[in-house]
Amino acid sequence: MRRLVTIILLVFAVSLIAAPMVMAQAKPAKEPAKPAAKPAAPKDPIKLGVIYCFAGPCYMLSESAINGIRIAAEEINAKGGILGRKLDVIVRDTEMKVDVGARETKDLMLREKVNFLEGPCSSGVGLAMQVVHSEYKILRVTTMANTEAQVVDKFTPYIVQVVPNTYMEAIAATRYMNKKYPAAKKFCTIAPDYEFGRREESAFEEEVKRLVPDSEILYQAWPKPGEKDFTAFITAIMAKKPDAVHSSLFGGDLVAFTKQAAPYGFFEKTPFIALYDLPVLLALGADAPEGTMGFGRGCFFMDPNPKMMQFVEKYRKVRGAYPDSWAVQAYDGVYLIKAAVEKAKTVETDAVIKAMEGISLDSLRGKFFIRPLDHMGSVPCYQGVIAKDPQYPFKIWKDNSRIPGDQVWRSEAGVREVWKKTGVVR
Amino acid sequence: MSFDVLFNQFMSGIARGALLFLVASGLSLTFGVLRVLNFAHGSIYMLGAFVTYSIWKYLLIPVVGFYIATILGALVMGGLGILMEFFLLRRLYARGWPEQLLATYAVVLIITDLVKWGWGGEFLSIPRPKPFAGAIALFGFPFPSYNFFVIIIGVALVVFLWWLVYRTRLGDIIRAAAHDREMVSALGIPIPWLFTWIFVLGAMIAGLSGGVAGPYGAIALGMDIEIIVECFAVVVIGGMGSLPGTLLGSIIVGQVYSFGIMYKPELALAFIFMVMAVVLIIRPWGIFGRPER
Repeated sequence: MRRLVTIILLVFAVSLIAAPMVMAQAKPAKEPAKPAAKPAAPKDPIKLGVIYCFAGPCYMLSESAINGIRIAAEEINAKGGILGRKLDVIVRDTEMKVDVGARETKDLMLREKVNFLEGPCSSGVGLAMQVVHSEYKILRVTTMANTEAQVVDKFTPYIVQVVPNTYMEAIAATRYMNKKYPAAKKFCTIAPDYEFGRREESAFEEEVKRLVPDSEILYQAWPKPGEKDFTAFITAIMAKKPDAVHSSLFGGDLVAFTKQAAPYGFFEKTPFIALYDLPVLLALGADAPEGTMGFGRGCFFMDPNPKMMQFVEKYRKVRGAYPDSWAVQAYDGVYLIKAAVEKAKTVETDAVIKAMEGISLDSLRGKFFIRPLDHMGSVPCYQGVIAKDPQYPFKIWKDNSRIPGDQVWRSEAGVREVWKKTGVVR
Repeated sequence: MSFDVLFNQFMSGIARGALLFLVASGLSLTFGVLRVLNFAHGSIYMLGAFVTYSIWKYLLIPVVGFYIATILGALVMGGLGILMEFFLLRRLYARGWPEQLLATYAVVLIITDLVKWGWGGEFLSIPRPKPFAGAIALFGFPFPSYNFFVIIIGVALVVFLWWLVYRTRLGDIIRAAAHDREMVSALGIPIPWLFTWIFVLGAMIAGLSGGVAGPYGAIALGMDIEIIVECFAVVVIGGMGSLPGTLLGSIIVGQVYSFGIMYKPELALAFIFMVMAVVLIIRPWGIFGRPER
């Protein structure tokens, strides 16, 4: 009996030791040395509560975001902070759980007394957090969780979105696919079966009917998120002989799908578009299917403007890797807060929200503005075709397209229509 | 619906069943002899995949590198199996199932965090190795040759386990121990030693399956829970601890899923668990299982 107790204690002890070690990895462990000559901050620091999901498929994305945020905060503090106040970053983990996300958000607001929030990764967690921080009147910038529900169905004034939402992203990708394959009429879709995938595909259906009125959707596949065996989905789709396939698969699932579909000659036979962003192309290496279309949210090969490339240099020096779009968006999120606070000349939430509405930011992804009605950023959506490039040891895109957010977002009238149904008053 | 379409869907189901069998056979073997439901079996599978990736990346030998890495990965997981059996499971055999489940679930959490710590939660990919990189024509329709490789490994494992359990002296002892461990012990056979090696064999099978799964799909956090849930369905349908049952369960789950996807994709996953529920009602101990004493 005593031995058993010892063992159980041992197991608990090991997990207790292991957990902080893992967190230390995610947190500032490898933080580079701060600039020596720190300008004196006369007042209390401004606190930014950064809350992402260090679990499952979100883990790597969250780590990238934290890196982007830290680089932005270091730059800002090296130049004297915001309104002469230092910017402090406090990191929290939602474990990709709705209840933990709500609890940690509350803790950040009540105990740490943060002025602003940034995050999370999971759309589901984001919606749960929104209820909490809206109640306490704290503004959150979402840079990754991109369900349209945050700004449309369940809008509150305490949210600002700087990642293309599910609607914009799918509309833009559908237009690109239509431009590349105007004769395609019969479609199949494959998307992860949860909030994100369902919303992307319903936007695809809406747009494809607008663009190709006599189009037909033959078959829709809904693999569970985290699925690693798509063989049966692939043969089922190919049996329908579609003209093109729209997908919102991403990350490891897309890697698995791509490897399993290639031997069937899927990519030679069927035009296909999915979230082929940097991490997926890195993982696939030589297996990335050239000529297949991808969409993404803005990293260096999608938008190689000088400001972006400067960020890439800095990021590579600090982190030893290429930054993906998650780092880019999180970085832009910090600068958006800075711009709004400087415009408002205060950190008071109401004043900052007012300053946010209509504000324009010269970001890593070019200029965008925040639509006053629903606080959606006119952030660009990117598409391209996978191709080799001698400059990089991995495949990137060619035939890049950058569609500004205000060309693809839901119209103001459309937003109001949804609000009528969901009871948002504004 | 033409023949080639149905045949292709059938082959997709067989490939999925083969991968499920690889993982479920180890789970079933451990349960059959040790009477421990090892919740961490899927985690050993996941860790095996990550370890195989790192060995493959380190070796960087063309063509054979992957096969060597898979074997080494399986051996490393066998080593982990020794530690796990000696320090944890050995102390739990006499305890109830709730405690066994809790303890093995603790291992799930530990391994998940270990993977995060060691590999940073990235998703990784091993390209399909030669000569299984392309496809072969089957009734004029391409069929990925790596899927054949997975099926071959699955068949080889069936034959090996059948030979081990039914045709060797060790197999006699294993079956006897599964039936009545006190009696076997009374005959002078060192049960703890036997249990350690059975668990190590199970862990090695899990490690091997993880290695094989690397080129099949992607290596990522979460692949442990994804597979273990379906493996539970397999062993419940086929019968806990039964080799033929696990084989049949894998084929049923693979086919039900594959044709479910074709006809009613929204319910494909639900169909599996409907079959499981029906089996539980009609034969609670599974198709080939034995009722608990």
